[in-house]
Amino acid sequence: MKSISLFVERESFVHGIDPITKLYYILFAIIIPIILPSFTISAICLGTSIILLIFAKVMRKTLPVYSFVFFVLITVVIIQGLFKPGNETVLLQLGPVAMYKEGLQFALTIVFRVTNIVSAFMILVLTTKPSDLVEALVRKGMSPRIGYVIVSVFQIIPEMMTTMSTIMDAQRSRGMETEGKLLVRIKAFIPLLGPVVLGSLINTKERAMALEVRGFNSRNPKTYLNEEKTYPNSRFIQAVMLVLTVCAVAWRMFL
Amino acid sequence: MIKVSNLSFSYTGGGVPVLSDINLEFDQRTTAIIGQNGAGKTTFVKLLKGLLKATYGEILIGEYDVKMRTAAELARKIGLVFQNPNDQIFKRTVLDETMFGLLNIKMGRYTAEKLAVEALELVGLDDKLSMNPHDLSLSEKKLLCIASVVAMDTDIVIFDEPTIAQDHAGKEIIRRIIQKLKEKNKLVLTIIHDMDFVAENFDRTIVFNEGKVLLDGSTREVFSQKDVLEEANVEPPGITQLANRLGLKNTILTVDEFLHECAK
Repeated sequence: MKSISLFVERESFVHGIDPITKLYYILFAIIIPIILPSFTISAICLGTSIILLIFAKVMRKTLPVYSFVFFVLITVVIIQGLFKPGNETVLLQLGPVAMYKEGLQFALTIVFRVTNIVSAFMILVLTTKPSDLVEALVRKGMSPRIGYVIVSVFQIIPEMMTTMSTIMDAQRSRGMETEGKLLVRIKAFIPLLGPVVLGSLINTKERAMALEVRGFNSRNPKTYLNEEKTYPNSRFIQAVMLVLTVCAVAWRMFL
Repeated sequence: MIKVSNLSFSYTGGGVPVLSDINLEFDQRTTAIIGQNGAGKTTFVKLLKGLLKATYGEILIGEYDVKMRTAAELARKIGLVFQNPNDQIFKRTVLDETMFGLLNIKMGRYTAEKLAVEALELVGLDDKLSMNPHDLSLSEKKLLCIASVVAMDTDIVIFDEPTIAQDHAGKEIIRRIIQKLKEKNKLVLTIIHDMDFVAENFDRTIVFNEGKVLLDGSTREVFSQKDVLEEANVEPPGITQLANRLGLKNTILTVDEFLHECAK
């Protein structure tokens, strides 16, 4: 079956770190540049994330995400560079259009922050199987119902896509034109949405019953299908991140 | 009516072929396609229908080259009833569902309705015209799907497992439909696991195994080759096996034949 998760199966030490630690890392990568709002620190954080992504051998998968993010960020750079209130120093003059230094600097901080956050998230998303993440969270005390909702999203969407194409085939074989111009495709697509949505609602009912039959709502403590994975380094990594955060706060306050 | 030459197909570019080097010709004889799950039967009919494009080889339907046509264009020539009726049904009423294909092939509303009602009479659903198809039982849904394809009056009709979920009465209806199509000189192709039904209703049988044609011939010929059938994990019909164990020399296909042979 097709999958909508971006997870890439690889052998690397990043893959071997437990999902919770990766969640902490996201928090860490967001907080540090807030505590210490300097270019250098943001650059170091971003650099760390990118190095981790390279070690995880998933750099190629990040490119489409980065290019999308940069596409959005370019508009930020242009708008801030041209129009930020407080723009004084002209950096570049193109006819009537002027780029200002203050605006560009401000835009650059935003660019760094956004790429930093995106990179930290990608470490989690690209190197963690969604089901592993959910299982780890449920073990930490998250409600299994919420866990199920998250996992099922990853299953239901590809399932709906498969159903969509089967229904499409069935209608094509009864003479509905679905190939060719964009307009033809759109016209063919809309009437199909009804059965797809209806079908998934029916499936949801059946799934709910199947879950109930297997005691999903039972109040007894749940057991897990998979044995709990042990991650030797996670304590250490979490401790290091905590110490670094404390140091950052101290630096900000006393220096 | 259909000519298949050197047909190969695989779902993943250079991956394991689902079908390899199939050469077949179909005439008016009703034909059953049998074989284990995963033997490539459904893939084969989807290729005939133009829903999948062949990796190698060509399929000619009449004078049409399937590769050059869209599935929708082929709909006038060849009809396919899907295995799972829920994949096919998407209109609000039984009548609309049956008329859908007819309207797609640019039939006038009046004629479409007439043909649709005729087809529904054939399957015994003509008293449920304004019902929502989703309220029908599974076997009725299957019959509705059959009606909506038969109504299109194509020269070739393909059924994918029509007898699933049918009781005896349902099977009788399907038998009647096949007979009727046969009288009209249409080619009926059926993927099926119900060997008794094959023996009683089909002139020709093709056995698929691991993407290849293992046996092809008249149904009697095919069911007489016990050893080859075993290779494809196909069991001959119950009555054929009984006759064989009793030591009857001829290959028996139906209960009538069996009684006749025993009476001698």
